[in-house]
Amino acid sequence: MSFDAVIIGGGINGLVAASVLARGGKKVCLLEQSGHLGGLAAPGPDGGARMAHLLYNLSPLVRREIGMDAHKWPFKLTPVSTVALNPDGPHVVIRGQKAQLADGSAHPEAEAYRQLNGQLIRYADILRGLAEGGPLGIEGRLSSISGLKELWRLGRIGRKLKRIDKSEMRRFLQMLLSNAYDLILDDLKDGPLAGMMAADAVRGGFAGPRSPGTVFSLIYRMGHGGEVTWPEGGMGAVVTAFEGAAQKAGVDIRLNAGVARILLAGDRVRAVETTGGDVIETKTVLSSTGALRTAHMAGVDAFDIEAARRLRNIRVKGTVAKINLTLTKPVSVAGLTDDMCPARLVLAPTAEYVERAFNPAKYRQMSEAPVIEALRIDAQTFSLMVQYAPVDLDGGWTDAAKDKLRAVTLSALAPYLPGLEDAVAQAEVITPDQIEAETGAPGGHWHHAEMALDQLLTLRPANGMGRYAMGPEGLYLCGAGAHPGGDLMGLAGRNAARAALEVGK
Amino acid sequence: MSLFVDPKLGLIDGPVQPRLEAQSRAKSWYDWAGYAAPAVLDTVEFEYFALRNQASLFDVSPMHKYRIRGPQAQAMLNRMMTRDITKIGTNRVGYTLWCDEEGMVIDDGTLFRFADDDWRLCCQEQMLTWLLDAAWGFDVEITDESKEVAGFALQGPSTFAVLESAGWDVSALRPFDMAEVAPGILISRTGFTGDLGYEIWMPWDDALAVWDKIWAAGDLWGLRAIGYEAVDYARLEAGFLTAGVDFQPARGTERLHRGLTPYELGFGRLVHLDKGHFNGRRALLKAKDAPRSVVMKVDVEGFKPAKGALIYHRKKREVGHITSGLWSPTAKRNIALAHVQMPWAGKRPSDLWAEIYTLEEGKWDTRMARLTPIQGAFFAPPRARATPPARI
Ligand SMILES: Cc1cc2nc3c(=O)[nH]c(=O)nc-3n(C[C@H](O)[C@H](O)[C@H](O)COP(=O)(O)OP(=O)(O)OC[C@H]3O[C@@H](n4cnc5c(N)ncnc54)[C@H](O)[C@@H]3O)c2cc1C
Repeated sequence: MSFDAVIIGGGINGLVAASVLARGGKKVCLLEQSGHLGGLAAPGPDGGARMAHLLYNLSPLVRREIGMDAHKWPFKLTPVSTVALNPDGPHVVIRGQKAQLADGSAHPEAEAYRQLNGQLIRYADILRGLAEGGPLGIEGRLSSISGLKELWRLGRIGRKLKRIDKSEMRRFLQMLLSNAYDLILDDLKDGPLAGMMAADAVRGGFAGPRSPGTVFSLIYRMGHGGEVTWPEGGMGAVVTAFEGAAQKAGVDIRLNAGVARILLAGDRVRAVETTGGDVIETKTVLSSTGALRTAHMAGVDAFDIEAARRLRNIRVKGTVAKINLTLTKPVSVAGLTDDMCPARLVLAPTAEYVERAFNPAKYRQMSEAPVIEALRIDAQTFSLMVQYAPVDLDGGWTDAAKDKLRAVTLSALAPYLPGLEDAVAQAEVITPDQIEAETGAPGGHWHHAEMALDQLLTLRPANGMGRYAMGPEGLYLCGAGAHPGGDLMGLAGRNAARAALEVGK
Repeated sequence: MSLFVDPKLGLIDGPVQPRLEAQSRAKSWYDWAGYAAPAVLDTVEFEYFALRNQASLFDVSPMHKYRIRGPQAQAMLNRMMTRDITKIGTNRVGYTLWCDEEGMVIDDGTLFRFADDDWRLCCQEQMLTWLLDAAWGFDVEITDESKEVAGFALQGPSTFAVLESAGWDVSALRPFDMAEVAPGILISRTGFTGDLGYEIWMPWDDALAVWDKIWAAGDLWGLRAIGYEAVDYARLEAGFLTAGVDFQPARGTERLHRGLTPYELGFGRLVHLDKGHFNGRRALLKAKDAPRSVVMKVDVEGFKPAKGALIYHRKKREVGHITSGLWSPTAKRNIALAHVQMPWAGKRPSDLWAEIYTLEEGKWDTRMARLTPIQGAFFAPPRARATPPARI
């Protein structure tokens, strides 16, 4: 059995990488360890949202390059309104750029929010240029001024010399290194709207809004305009569409085929060996699992000592637990006039609250007052991202710890969802350690590696591996741990495949 | 454990300090890895000629010694070293070097193979953190034996006879062989002088007794205790490089691009690019045919040692410098190690000159001395390789 390229993992990035390579004329085999595709986006049994649940960063460029329709996605996307829950007043409802109070009246900071949001989206556009272009040229640290200048230059090139004047450029550079807390509270007073933005800035990260670099992560999620959508048919529809594209491109997809080892001959890839002992010959391997796991598969001795040190020092502590609620009866949101579905309810009453929620994670404790992004899919189905639930919880994620997390979460939501606690039919708690065990995502982390300034661009996943090539000839990283990072986006997989195609030329 | 056993002390005593102290007329000590080590005990000439004509004893205990044990010891070391260490036989010692990921030499040293899963690395630089880094992911255990194992370099033409008189038969040892001659006492036919010689390794606390035994045996054979200066003469005659002098260990440099590749240091034969991956290999593949400079052995016109001199091509363009230089009493030449940039160090280097400063009765001057490249060691006596060795 032999292929031009073997892809390890059938999450979004693996599927995209496989499609791009196959469309580039390669004979491609994709090996997925589990019995289903999707990775962190794999749907639950009902097709819903077992882990990932919302789309905001899907790349149209990827869509075109994997042979889907040039203009639209093959699944229907419904824009999702955000509700910033307010414990002592009307909630804030955000639709697009517009913030309103739940009672229909104007939000006093609507204009300030619109401006701040608009500015972030403009900057996000620049970053997208870099994400699509691959991390070319930037060798230094992003936290240095020369690194930033280079970033700026590339960003402008990426955006075809979009006009941004000098003072705005200065503000961009200052902002990028700073923290979301300061940025947000410069323009908004601390409350649910600010809290919602702070929560978005740190979602998935081991960071609080006062951590440096959180403006970057806030901008990152706006790279494709920032609109949050829910796919009709749930994550199942999304995964099916990407699977379809791969199949159409001619990818040989194999499930229940975990890769145990990447075999080398000298310093180049020769084959992969599955956990079942099958050997599949290939000269090119793109791995979408974690960088360190991938290195272990190839053998540590295939990497330089410094590279191995960097790989094992990648900061990657997952902090998000997923709780999937099924209710016995409909539950509405107190204080909301219309019964929105789907709706994204954000429990983060202030930016300060979000920062305080992070504190326990530093000491390997869960938040007693967690930040929650609750997707109300319908009146009886809620998908919750609960933060902070650190992967390395002191004492481990025992059943008791999970019960506590569930209880803490339900009681935090109870004031806003009257009757919730009594209506719970099922509450599936999926903690980061479990996410890691199921999918191999390092630390159960949203992005496979913290989106911190020292782990971005050419420093992602680590210095010396920033251009997808990991070291041994023919071995590439194509998952969220590679540039530009995670989310349901597909650019890491697409860029890695292009890098591999480039070398093959 | 702190290096400083006595807070009032800076330098500390090595394992045979009482003997060295008693021998030292020059009272000239220097800092070798924190130990008070003799630069000379009497005069360098006496010591040097003992080394080349009789036998010399030099305490090398301050060297760093690391034990590497475990099922994957060989794999771990082979990934770290540039040469294929699987080719080093059991009870053999290999000269080896290791590089960083950019292919720059970190240090060189001797690697002792006791068994497939049991090795010792002996080197000049502190290497524990690097070894621990290199060991990550391998089933090996690294132990710093620097303070547990003492060592003496017994070097010179009558050293075989000295050991024989001490009751240790090393007649079967070929160069780079080693053998345990008595419980806990290991003798390797190695050294840093290019001459017949041995290194004796023993538990730190046995060092005084072993010293005395060798000392007594050496009486008839002209044995002399020596300091580093004499060793430095001898090593340069043998064409050996000293870390920190003839190259800057890559991990000790703070400025960019001060490191040198094995190719640039003339150690290409110790880089085995075909053995599979090892640290720095990818960089060395690229660096192999593009050395930035080359270390050359040169004969310097005149008598004045050229250490520190700048090198000029056609007496005009500065193209390098000299890191070590000596009037060699045995080779009867003014020898030196010259770092010469490419392309001037290329195929037929000629017209290279060292700018030498001279001081004659209070008057400084400079003089251009022609450099003549030399192949091989400046001094390589056949006795260094004869097995069994002659008694004198
Ligand atoms: C709890 C949670 C919620 C999230 N929610 C959202 C969200 O709402 N919106 C959003 O945009 N992003 C979300 N993300 C982030 C997003 O899901 C990920 O960044 C993205 O899915 C990563 O895709 P990937 O293909 O790089 O990796 P993964 O999705 O991790 O895919 C890797 C695949 O490789 C397989 N694999 C691993 N090891 C092997 C092996 N040895 N052999 C074979 N196969 C192997 C795994 O089984 C897996 O299928 C969320 C992440 C988490 C953890």
